Amino acid sequence: MIVGPVKRLAQVLRTSAWLGWQVEANWAEPWIFLMYAIAKPLATTLILFFMVRVVSQGHANAETFRFIFIGNTFFLYVTEVLIGISWTVFRDREDYETLKYIYVAPVRLLPYLLGRAFTRVATATLGVLVALLFGRLVLGLTIGVPGTNWLLVVGAVLLGLLGVLWLGIILAGISLVVARHSMNLNEGLSGLFFLLCGAIFPLDVLPRWALHLSLLLPFTYWLELLRRMLTGRGFAASLGRYGDGDLWWILALATVGLCALALVWFRGCERIARERGLIDWKTNY
Amino acid sequence: MAPEDAARSSGLGQRLRMNLAAVYARASVRVKASFRERSWLLGETLFPFLAMSAFVLVYRGLRAPREYEGFVVLGGAMIAYWNNVIWGMASQFFWEREQGQLQLYLITPVSRMSILLGMALGGMAMTTTRAAAILTGGILLFHVSLPLERALPAFGLFLLTLGAAYSLGMILSSLFLLWGREVWHTATILQEPVYLLSGFYFPVSAMGVGIAIVGSILPVTLGLDGIRQVFYGPAAHGLLPVRWIPPIQIALTAIFLFVSAVSLRYMENLGKQEGRLTVRGD
Repeated sequence: MIVGPVKRLAQVLRTSAWLGWQVEANWAEPWIFLMYAIAKPLATTLILFFMVRVVSQGHANAETFRFIFIGNTFFLYVTEVLIGISWTVFRDREDYETLKYIYVAPVRLLPYLLGRAFTRVATATLGVLVALLFGRLVLGLTIGVPGTNWLLVVGAVLLGLLGVLWLGIILAGISLVVARHSMNLNEGLSGLFFLLCGAIFPLDVLPRWALHLSLLLPFTYWLELLRRMLTGRGFAASLGRYGDGDLWWILALATVGLCALALVWFRGCERIARERGLIDWKTNY
Repeated sequence: MAPEDAARSSGLGQRLRMNLAAVYARASVRVKASFRERSWLLGETLFPFLAMSAFVLVYRGLRAPREYEGFVVLGGAMIAYWNNVIWGMASQFFWEREQGQLQLYLITPVSRMSILLGMALGGMAMTTTRAAAILTGGILLFHVSLPLERALPAFGLFLLTLGAAYSLGMILSSLFLLWGREVWHTATILQEPVYLLSGFYFPVSAMGVGIAIVGSILPVTLGLDGIRQVFYGPAAHGLLPVRWIPPIQIALTAIFLFVSAVSLRYMENLGKQEGRLTVRGD
């Protein structure tokens, strides 16, 4: 009895993922597209590499860079996926003017958007993998320690990614009821997370009030957990009181919370968008 | 004055007035739009400041000398202009085409260069709020020191840099004229890799002279290098002697303007022949 809806959901996810891939990538040969996809993570990695190198007179060392590198690399999921989902709403609604057709088709918007996010997840994953390989092979960084359980690392990445996806759905809900130029607010939110979750610096240099905000973000714990798994020790003294198990629990609960909030929030935003006639809104002035 | 000379002179004057009006009109749209939309103002000032702050905190976490934080703040302000060159100049004709406005520009009796100049001047004015927010925030929140007694020569170099950077934007604008969705991706690829190549967050000389010279094809690289040298002297680890930079920027501006005029004419003709100037949703 459950097989029907699950099969239907899988079909919607698969089709919208394929559509997302075509929209994102069919303007170029796949290898050119891949080059574009890896340019950003590699450039950011090298920026941080040179930043550490120019001040490395006795202060910074390879270990410090390794922490920065891991945080920056995995944060790519946040920037790509978070912005990608909400951007889909604007592109479909205003550029391609197809959002209204999703509503007249026998599919729900939420699974459609999750499917569209797959392309972003795939390109972000590629970027992360290339950056990790670059760090290992070119920059000579040690990724992982003898005790690293790689299956758990993959599990932690997926758990964090789930949180990112649900937060992306919350932003997509907001995008349904705001004008296109509010996109910069979504991009700004990503910048805010980049700053607050200590992706590229130890949390302990944040002012106290910002540190409190940082501790409210699931990504803070996510990056710390990944750093511990891949380097064998923590980066942020402020999180020193939490064991690895605590970080797992915090991350899992935050993900469940985000999921529940996203489902309620998105449904509410969708209702408002339909009531106010915003599904085919065009604000590209 | 002979009647035909007077008529020619009056025609020239009228053309000049019309083109100046086009420059003003295109520029004023940008300036007014940027202040009319509050979310833009917020997005253009507060959020870029957040990203820049993260890089300041990297140096703070590394316990780097304080002038390095100044490098980041100056780089952050310059990034605002570079992003405007990419998204507000280079890819603008793509957006205009998507919105169906490009053909309106093409049927007006004004030079396309006037439209681009208007975009550039409006873009500079619009971006100055963002850059000013980054500089002010950097000085007030991070206590970054910018020796104000050296502000005048730094400002002169900054203006020359903007001239060259926006002239480069005009070239890119003509190249992007006929593109479809690759515009989006190309503009994106001109962000982080350029931040790296131009040394927005660290002295460009740190990458080695060879790479730094390659990066100097972009006017923002040398401009930023020169401005840092003016403010921080030898601590800026400059690439070229600062007195070399103004003539290079002036030469780059002249070359880029010439190339952009030729390129724009060529791409427009090509677009007409291939019927791509009115294609939308590509």
